[in-house]
Amino acid sequence: MRGIETEALILRSVDFGESDRILHLLTPGSGRLTTIAKGARRSVRRFGGTLDLFNHLCVQVDFGRKTGMARLDQARLIGAFEPLRIDPGRFALGCYLLELFDRLAPEGGNRADMRRLFDFLLDALKAIAVWEPSLRLRTLLELRALDALGLRPELRNCVRCGESAGRTAEVDFHVADGGAVCGACAPRMEGLLRVHLGTLRALEQGLRLDFSRLDRLGIGGQSLDEAQQLISRFQRFHVGVELRSERFLDRILQQPRAPEL
Amino acid sequence: MRSSPPIDRLVASFKRLPGIGEKSATRLAFFVLGMPDATVQELANAISRLKHEIVLCEECFDLTHETPCEICRDEKRDSGKICVVEEPADLASIERSGSFDGRYFVLGGALSPIDGVGPDEIRVAQLEERVRRGDVHEVILATNPNAEGDATAHYISRCLRPCKVRLSRIAYGMPLGGDFEYADHVTVGRSLENRRELE
Repeated sequence: MRGIETEALILRSVDFGESDRILHLLTPGSGRLTTIAKGARRSVRRFGGTLDLFNHLCVQVDFGRKTGMARLDQARLIGAFEPLRIDPGRFALGCYLLELFDRLAPEGGNRADMRRLFDFLLDALKAIAVWEPSLRLRTLLELRALDALGLRPELRNCVRCGESAGRTAEVDFHVADGGAVCGACAPRMEGLLRVHLGTLRALEQGLRLDFSRLDRLGIGGQSLDEAQQLISRFQRFHVGVELRSERFLDRILQQPRAPEL
Repeated sequence: MRSSPPIDRLVASFKRLPGIGEKSATRLAFFVLGMPDATVQELANAISRLKHEIVLCEECFDLTHETPCEICRDEKRDSGKICVVEEPADLASIERSGSFDGRYFVLGGALSPIDGVGPDEIRVAQLEERVRRGDVHEVILATNPNAEGDATAHYISRCLRPCKVRLSRIAYGMPLGGDFEYADHVTVGRSLENRRELE
């Protein structure tokens, strides 16, 4: 029998059978991990309220069986992101990020990469808990999430010839090739998205910015709309489908905020 | 192993029920085979009539055989208080407690963006409409105390805020018969926040 004790973030929780729950976890050692928590919905003592979306846990997972799913034996709550449960905007943004990770995070891989991925998601959830949910925060987190998942768009040099793409006020971006295209290569390509150079520079700044200084990101108005469209199309190209949580997020970010319950 | 299509068909049907595996389904099928004809007919009729006779209450969206349901027709109940729950089973649990004398509203789920469930997939608009047209003065949000249930309660509170009704959320804390040793720190914290003075 082989078991591990590890930190984990709950990406998704699906009821299974009468009393079990299937959990998609993100762990710092194994990446995305699917486990079954037997009796999770029936037993108050075994897991209590720990197996909830966004929760940061310390879990014991048993890989004992040769076939089938790993079994979640124990879970201890390290932290719960309370603001994500009581603010619909934060909830929507958190769900969107979890779904993106649930779709794109690898099952296993280089340990350092897995650790980086886990730390990113933990920091991102903390940022959502702290910062006001907005289109700016969404765009930035989406860009940073794609970067953490190994899908960083090329924002400075031409993806075709490697020359600097930023020689004019407007630059073309090719979603499938994953980056900016210079003026010389652009005429030979189709399906380009035209954006202002300032938008790409703001996104570059966003890639370097610490989560504690997200308010320093100088992007808004038309530039923010452009950035959002670019990142959204880039993400959809890699995921292959529209994320299910996207429609709710779009809707909620357009609504005015209300006082607390 | 020998098999017979009618028995296999019934075993396959039983296996679709929650908690019923191959062995239990086979045992049930043979039990049915041994039952008197009239009892089997009664069972078959009960199952077949269930889907035709059960409808959703036009007021609260609970499952009922006549609409409005018994609770919505009961004039002794306080029509000014509405308890909002996710599913009919939650309503039944609250009714079993015997501690609520108002009326209900069944949402039909909770917000779960990851599963594609947004406000249009549950009955948020119908709840708003009911609160706006009725003599409602309090809405108790009794969605499950998990991330989806909490988010749903707060989303609804945002929608109902302009209606100027009292909005409350069910209390959180330690379950009866629970053990501090096994409780997570968030639950313990909530139970202290929501403590009550002893009379």
